[in-house]
Amino acid sequence: MQAPPDRRFAADAEAHRRDAPRHCPGCGAPPAIVTEFWEGTARRFYCSCSGCGWTGEITPTGDVAVGHEPEH
Amino acid sequence: MLTAEQNDELTQVDAGTPMGEVLRRYWYPVAFTRELAEFPVKRVELLGEFFALWRSPSGRYGIVPEACPHRKASLAYGVVESDGLRCPYHGWVFDEAGACVEQPAERDDTRFGARVSAQAGVAEEMGGLVWAYVGPGPAPRLPRFDTYVMEGFRDIGWADLPCNYVQIMENAVDPHHVEWLHGRYFQFIGRHEGFTSPASFAKKHQKVGFTPFEWGIIKRRVLEGASEDNDDWKVGHPLVFPYNMRVGGGGVHQMQIRVPINRTTTRFMLYTVHRPDEGYEHVEQPVVPDYNIPVVDEKGRHVVNYVEGQDIMAWVTQGAITDRTTEHLGRSDIGVAMLRKMFREQMDRVARGEDPLGTIREEHERIDLPCEKDKFHAGAQFALDFCDMGSTRFSPMLDAIKKIHVSAAERVASGSASGSGS
Ligand code: FES
Ligand SMILES: [Fe+2]
Repeated sequence: MQAPPDRRFAADAEAHRRDAPRHCPGCGAPPAIVTEFWEGTARRFYCSCSGCGWTGEITPTGDVAVGHEPEH
Repeated sequence: MLTAEQNDELTQVDAGTPMGEVLRRYWYPVAFTRELAEFPVKRVELLGEFFALWRSPSGRYGIVPEACPHRKASLAYGVVESDGLRCPYHGWVFDEAGACVEQPAERDDTRFGARVSAQAGVAEEMGGLVWAYVGPGPAPRLPRFDTYVMEGFRDIGWADLPCNYVQIMENAVDPHHVEWLHGRYFQFIGRHEGFTSPASFAKKHQKVGFTPFEWGIIKRRVLEGASEDNDDWKVGHPLVFPYNMRVGGGGVHQMQIRVPINRTTTRFMLYTVHRPDEGYEHVEQPVVPDYNIPVVDEKGRHVVNYVEGQDIMAWVTQGAITDRTTEHLGRSDIGVAMLRKMFREQMDRVARGEDPLGTIREEHERIDLPCEKDKFHAGAQFALDFCDMGSTRFSPMLDAIKKIHVSAAERVASGSASGSGS
């Protein structure tokens, strides 16, 4: 039997439902499965498509584009 | 009678329900102190939710919801460490404030501990019990009711009962049941089992009264042969909202505790302190002993040859959640009606964002509750009847307790009493 939803993290569950990618970047079909994971401050969506076989991570970045500089 | 909707609302305990939100504004005993001394982490069920309760090596207590925020393994199987509770599965650590302070499988720059705190409650020790508050912060103070902090000789009888706690609380404002359930019915069982039940329990009620006060409802009675000058009326004893009743007399002080474990399971505890008013000499107890009280026998029938066993029989046979849509209350049940009104009022208070009845935010040493000393107008005999006819009969401390009452009486008789009234 499925455990009842954990009320502490209802906002995270809601954000996942809202933000998980709905279209495969390869063919536009709904992805077969989207697993969200967190890495530091980033949310990453690991997607795979059973239609065209595309597999990859999609990460919302917001307005700011972050680069890096080589050490100097 | 109530409507089905009202009965449903009254008996809820779950988070997000009006009554569940009221119940989350109070502290509850969730373990015996000795349990966490024996093993420092325990799975606890309270108000229909599971928690991991632990005692740190430095003696502090923590409580967090059982499911680990990572992938939901049970923190009740956690490793108790100096800086918190470590999940047994992948080693995340949560401190007493619920903060996730370690995610050992993540690199420094991929950690996200701040997003996965475990929403801790607060836990404290008092009187041989570990108490927890799991409601919204800031937590009120743990009320230091007299019974838990007074000097005396303690024991705690307990059982988990398969019924909703509200029907047990309704019993606490039902004085008439005493002369029938603990009077006539006790005599009937005694006749068949060959013992004599205590005569004072069968005294007829002439008058009952209920007074709301800051901690709940004071219950008063005038018994046959007594008057309004007797303690039973003048002092009475209280239902302590929302889940306790303070009783006693004859040097016995007791809190009857009914913790809503879930909607249809109630932990019933008899927290008893023996402390004769005069002639008491204190006996040290390194550990407060607890013991199981019998509920049913090997045939599955209720054990009804002791006072609380009779109460338990009545509460449990009312049904897991008693059907209040087809009950038939009379004038003598007016205390029950008053209690339901009190529950309803607290739901409104909490919905308005106010503290409900009986929560305390001021620092305090001890809260004295009104409680009659001369119980049932029966004098010191009450203490001995209490030992033989109540749950204390099953206590491993029975002999020690009787000795306390008998030697105190002897000291008083020989004029060498040292203790004084408290
Ligand atoms: S489930 Fe607790 S650390 Fe992974
Ligand atoms: Fe595709």
